[in-house]
Amino acid sequence: MDNALTSSGMKKSFGRSLLYTLPMFLITFMFMTGGRPDFSRPASALAMVVTFLLVNILYFLMHYTGKTDKLRAILFIIFALSLSFTLINNMLETRNSMSFSQADILECKIPFCHLVIPMMILPAAFTNSIIFPGSIIGGFANIASMVVLWLVATLVLGRGFCSWGCFYGGWDDGFSRIRKKPAIKKISEIWKWMPFAVLIMVSLTAALSLIPTYCDWICPFKAVTEFEQVTSVESATKAVIFVSLFAGLVVVLPVLTRKRTQCSFLCPLGAINTVSNKVTPFTIKIDKKACTECFKCVEVCPLFALSTEGIKEGKVSVFCSKCGKCVDACSKNAIHFGIKGVPSGTMKNFSRNLFLFVSFLFMSVFSAGSIINSLQSLLNLIF
Amino acid sequence: MQKKELMTDSLILGLSSGSSCLVTCGMVMFPYLMAGSAGVKRIAIDLSLFLLTRLVIYFILATLAWYFGQALFSNQVVRNVVPGILYIVFAVMLVWYSISKNRNQECPAKIVKTVNNHRLVPIFLGIVNSLGFCPALFIILTKGATQGTLIQSYIAFLAFFIGSSIWFLPLPLAGKIRKKEVLKTIGILATGLAGIIFMIKGITNLIGGIING
Repeated sequence: MDNALTSSGMKKSFGRSLLYTLPMFLITFMFMTGGRPDFSRPASALAMVVTFLLVNILYFLMHYTGKTDKLRAILFIIFALSLSFTLINNMLETRNSMSFSQADILECKIPFCHLVIPMMILPAAFTNSIIFPGSIIGGFANIASMVVLWLVATLVLGRGFCSWGCFYGGWDDGFSRIRKKPAIKKISEIWKWMPFAVLIMVSLTAALSLIPTYCDWICPFKAVTEFEQVTSVESATKAVIFVSLFAGLVVVLPVLTRKRTQCSFLCPLGAINTVSNKVTPFTIKIDKKACTECFKCVEVCPLFALSTEGIKEGKVSVFCSKCGKCVDACSKNAIHFGIKGVPSGTMKNFSRNLFLFVSFLFMSVFSAGSIINSLQSLLNLIF
Repeated sequence: MQKKELMTDSLILGLSSGSSCLVTCGMVMFPYLMAGSAGVKRIAIDLSLFLLTRLVIYFILATLAWYFGQALFSNQVVRNVVPGILYIVFAVMLVWYSISKNRNQECPAKIVKTVNNHRLVPIFLGIVNSLGFCPALFIILTKGATQGTLIQSYIAFLAFFIGSSIWFLPLPLAGKIRKKEVLKTIGILATGLAGIIFMIKGITNLIGGIING
């Protein structure tokens, strides 16, 4: 019966959707409150309740409406905004500035982010040292917890991390949704290999210089998190690069193309996550019997993971981040969440339920802290 | 320039140069290196000869660049400003190379077809390949010329050699690589990226040179 789903086949009744939401409800409750909700501080309690409701309502709606992408994107975008807000807030509180000084580097006070990981691997292997001036254990955004979180998420979700876990992805995902139709339609697919070129360059240069070169020179998200104090021509050049790349790849191009251009054309971690798609159990599958080759999925894919040739052959490329946009766009339910080893066109509902539970739970747990913190700070500011 | 920075810059250049060499010349060199029985030992010897020749040529170039650099860049203003301009010019050439559709016609190693003695082919290829004056080589020559000591010039060229040689190491396995087009694309993109990096470095050096000059 699961095989013959129609376009509305992923929808569930109200009661059934509630039942599916119950495990998420309990786990997020335990995670956010530790089993003992604290209502002594009103701002903190309100922030927690709002976050808890937001997460669970979104998950409920995923089951109730049968739609994935738009509901995922809401939490994903809020996550990106709140993380940047939390980071900036934290830096302003601890150093009164968004820029870091040489003293902050020497004292290892720089918050760690997962984009550094590709540059850490070679130096860690050859010199047994971590080339990032952050705290290994303890403190805000420490290295150990971020590496473990990324590793677990990548092994389970593959490139799904880029749509369900990355706290930067929400920026260009958000901007790519502003226009209803793309102003630029033709983009050469060659560019989707650029993250691999960036990965080669930054990994080797970082290994040789023992400096995280991507963070030092390229990362567009420095524009919305932290940056080096402008004290020389070199640091001024870096600031110009950060802002230009953010404006170009995270804001302007996503708006014009409706694609996630930073994730597709620059991010070196995205390249590693792409390769990890080979080992993850979850995938997107094409039911060739149901496919009418309308290629709507190719049109909407934000990461150039689908091509007309691939659809004809029933193949989804390793660039897929399992955002669910193509699944939602397919009126015949021919493209669907799947599990490796299970034939395409079968167990569509089961695969979707399992994937949604794992990926949404990860995003909820990962994002809850920063959403609660940002809401709390906002409430404190307002009242 | 600090040793680490010098090595990093030169390695990036080598990587960019190696990818472009492989893209332009790989198809010419491959049949010659792989010709005959193509046993692992033969391929390893040929490849080693090829790389050794390149290394020798690069050390000669490092010496010449440093020697002429001492005479050309003795003036402080020239030393501050000219390398920046040269960086920008050659970096633009490097980016142009990566976006040019005619890059396949520019391979200097095509001359190898005129060499009849198979034993000499790897050495000849090494000479032709290392003297194929591509933008990356111009940049490393500029770098070698502006170093304070001959040792620094050698370090720059050695890192350049390592970076460019990495691309040749999988050559014996080229027949077994399934996605050659993908590697080629990544190589071209890496070349363009290196061009952009050096363009930025050139602009930074130039502005810094003008301010300090």
